[in-house]
Amino acid sequence: MSGTVTPLPARAGLLGKGEDFASIGRAVTGASSRIPSRAWWIAFAGAGGLLGVFAVTLAWLLINGVGIWHNNNPVVWALDIVAYDWWIGIACGALLTSAILRLTGASWRSGIDRIAETTAILAAASAALYPIIHLGRPWLFYWTLPYPNTLALWPQFRSPLVWDAIDIISFLGVCLGLWYVGLLPDFATLRDRAFEAALAEADERGRTRRLTLMKAQTYGILALGWRGASTHWERWLMATRTLSALALVLVVSLQTGASVMLAGSVLPGWHDTLLPVSFLAASLLSGVGVTAALTVLVRRALHLDALITERHIALMAHLMLGLGLASAYCYATEIFSGLLHGDAYDRAVLVRRLSGSHAWAFWIIVVFALLPVHLFWFAAFRRSGRVVALVGLAAAIGSFGDHFMLLIVTLSHDFLPSSAHPYSMGVWGLATLAGTIGLFLALLLLALRTLPMVSIAETRRVAESHRDGRPRGERAPVPAESAQARLWGVSAEFDDAGALAAAAGALKERDFGARIETYGPVPMRRVAESLGRPAGILPLLALGAALAGGLAFMGLCLYASGVDYVFDVGGRPRFSWPAFLVPSVSFGTLCGGLTALLALLVQNRLPRLNHPAFAIPGFTRASEDRFFLAFEAAGPRFNPARIEQALARLPQGRPLTIRRVPL
Amino acid sequence: MTLRLSPGPGPDAVRQLFAPGADALLRLALLTGAACLAALPVVGAGLVRSSYVTGVGVAPAQPVPFSHKHHAGELKIDCRYCHTTVETQATAGIPPTQTCMTCHSQIWSGSDMLEPVRASYAKDQPLVWTRLNKLPGYVYYNHAVHVTNGIGCSTCHGSVTDMQLTYRANAFEMSFCLDCHRNPETYVRPKDQILTMTWSPPANQATLGPDLVRQYHIRGGERLTECGICHR
Repeated sequence: MSGTVTPLPARAGLLGKGEDFASIGRAVTGASSRIPSRAWWIAFAGAGGLLGVFAVTLAWLLINGVGIWHNNNPVVWALDIVAYDWWIGIACGALLTSAILRLTGASWRSGIDRIAETTAILAAASAALYPIIHLGRPWLFYWTLPYPNTLALWPQFRSPLVWDAIDIISFLGVCLGLWYVGLLPDFATLRDRAFEAALAEADERGRTRRLTLMKAQTYGILALGWRGASTHWERWLMATRTLSALALVLVVSLQTGASVMLAGSVLPGWHDTLLPVSFLAASLLSGVGVTAALTVLVRRALHLDALITERHIALMAHLMLGLGLASAYCYATEIFSGLLHGDAYDRAVLVRRLSGSHAWAFWIIVVFALLPVHLFWFAAFRRSGRVVALVGLAAAIGSFGDHFMLLIVTLSHDFLPSSAHPYSMGVWGLATLAGTIGLFLALLLLALRTLPMVSIAETRRVAESHRDGRPRGERAPVPAESAQARLWGVSAEFDDAGALAAAAGALKERDFGARIETYGPVPMRRVAESLGRPAGILPLLALGAALAGGLAFMGLCLYASGVDYVFDVGGRPRFSWPAFLVPSVSFGTLCGGLTALLALLVQNRLPRLNHPAFAIPGFTRASEDRFFLAFEAAGPRFNPARIEQALARLPQGRPLTIRRVPL
Repeated sequence: MTLRLSPGPGPDAVRQLFAPGADALLRLALLTGAACLAALPVVGAGLVRSSYVTGVGVAPAQPVPFSHKHHAGELKIDCRYCHTTVETQATAGIPPTQTCMTCHSQIWSGSDMLEPVRASYAKDQPLVWTRLNKLPGYVYYNHAVHVTNGIGCSTCHGSVTDMQLTYRANAFEMSFCLDCHRNPETYVRPKDQILTMTWSPPANQATLGPDLVRQYHIRGGERLTECGICHR
């Protein structure tokens, strides 16, 4: 009987040999101490230097305005929007990867989903600054949001400026929600290891150092009192899946929204119906590329070879190859359809893209994004972390060329020869880009130091628990067991989820005057099924909130633009609902995501920092490799002796220890 | 968030990372954070509308404590006696010291209170009043257009004849202007009522207003709310 109760298919090669629950936890929790300190500080100094460049650039920008980026009249969207689209593309691609892998139940998400989500958050944070700083008066950025103002005006909901504001807020909300929910059990593991260290210190020296204790308590607060109850795990699965589904909707809305926004203009070259798909493919390629590069980095820097295996790297390489082919198909189709049925202007744009003054942008796409992925036809390159990382970074560089070509080459020349104006990248535009890269790297380095970069909970789901049969967490009997103190309940410790499930199944019908709860380091599907799984109301709540939020936002847009503040924009219809779809969908997913997060906490009665279950002897191991069955006293019929007897007489899967837990 | 942690078996051997009170503290902190987050926009929205920011109802110190109530209210001096260009120009005009001295060279000519006025006259240097009604530089406003087309003084400046010391009656925020530009018929008056400080819409404004709007050739709604009407 294996330790996992929810076996995931095709787990071969996803974990080093001999890895079990405890070793996975130790590998991740101890990872930050294995970072080469000197290299980290050098890297951090470099990132800090780039952040300094960013600060200088922003100051110069505030003094002089967006002209320092060489934006001019036809090229109104220059490096600022190129970089924004590039970052948000990476963020979308990374988030979509994590969401799709979770929704399809791919077990190889174990090593990379946390890295993908972290990439998404950091890239979105870097992107989030652009819509603010590219405004002429960045300090009035809140004008893009609907709020009760003294101007008697509404924001222009047809404007991509408003879409960007809502999209970024929603993206950060949903992405942070998914990331944090995934982190909850991992924070609990970190908390328990830190608490064990504090206890060991207390035993050794008679007292605990303040810092050790603060570390444990910080992780404790971040974990919100997660204790791994089987019902909590079931809702956790629902919440992560719900958030993944919302993230999927959000990313599709955001990327296709960007292409629809371009199609809303009259400029030639932005109207191919394949554009939404090619946006998604290109964004996925860059997101997967950066995620793959970071996966290799995390694997090497944190020595996590056992948790992020060659198979993970090879699968990422496969994914990049597939996405590279899809991307190449999209570019080829665009060129083909331009030649086949485009008008003179379409063909002129095509010629400018391929051979104009900024043709390098197109060839960057070809050389950096479309060609290198073909190395992955060969297994040797798929197995090489270095090659995968380099190709991943190249894909990101190629994606920058894509956004440059799509925006700047198109904008610099419209229908009239007189409105063509050359554009050249200025040093300040590049400095701003370098600054946002510095922000990304600095936050990444801090994350490497403090956060579990590989999901402990997800990795354990592909692992076997190692049965050693030794009771752990043993200390001298607590007074409750010797004296007749008030009891919270009786607990039994197992080293195997199967035994726990058998015990729970055998005892659940007996009337002990007690409530049964089970605790463990992984989702315990069989236990939950035998004890009665919680109703799946969480996804419904989230769906309801998403629909209500989306409809409410659509209603707001329609009321504001069609009733309260009618404003003729180029003769567009009063109730131009298609234009309002993008922010409405984004806002809906934000509402759904926040509801999923809140529902998870409320239904699980979290946060609960102090809970009687934490007093179960050896309970810190519930986040490592032990499973606990607790009989919580409920009513006058509660009799600890009877429960202990029943536990000791179990036909199979006897507990390692049976303890009384004081109140 | 105190910790109850004891090194071995004893009366206090319960090993919890957090004391029972920690949850109450955490909830308090979370609720406080949520309340602050919710309060921030409410306080902000209240603050920008308060007279602390808008200056509505606050009479600043002036070189001379001039009373509109006394001059325009009790003595019934016509507004246009001092604000001479209100019907012809963009600005209503601040009277020069000479206008004050037309009377005050004869009456209250020895008053201490009027010493700055006499000094200004003697040195030929204008009095420096603290300005009350300011519009941003990007707003174009024309007094003549408004007072010759049915908008009275008091609609914007309040009942000046009741002000002992002059204060700002309305915050000239965009919503204030747009309120009338969107519905001019609710504010427009007959020509002979322009200077009436106590004017309030009569009972038949609903029928009178649209008539007046037609008379004055005001193209309300779409024309008056064009950006370029005020932001030129």
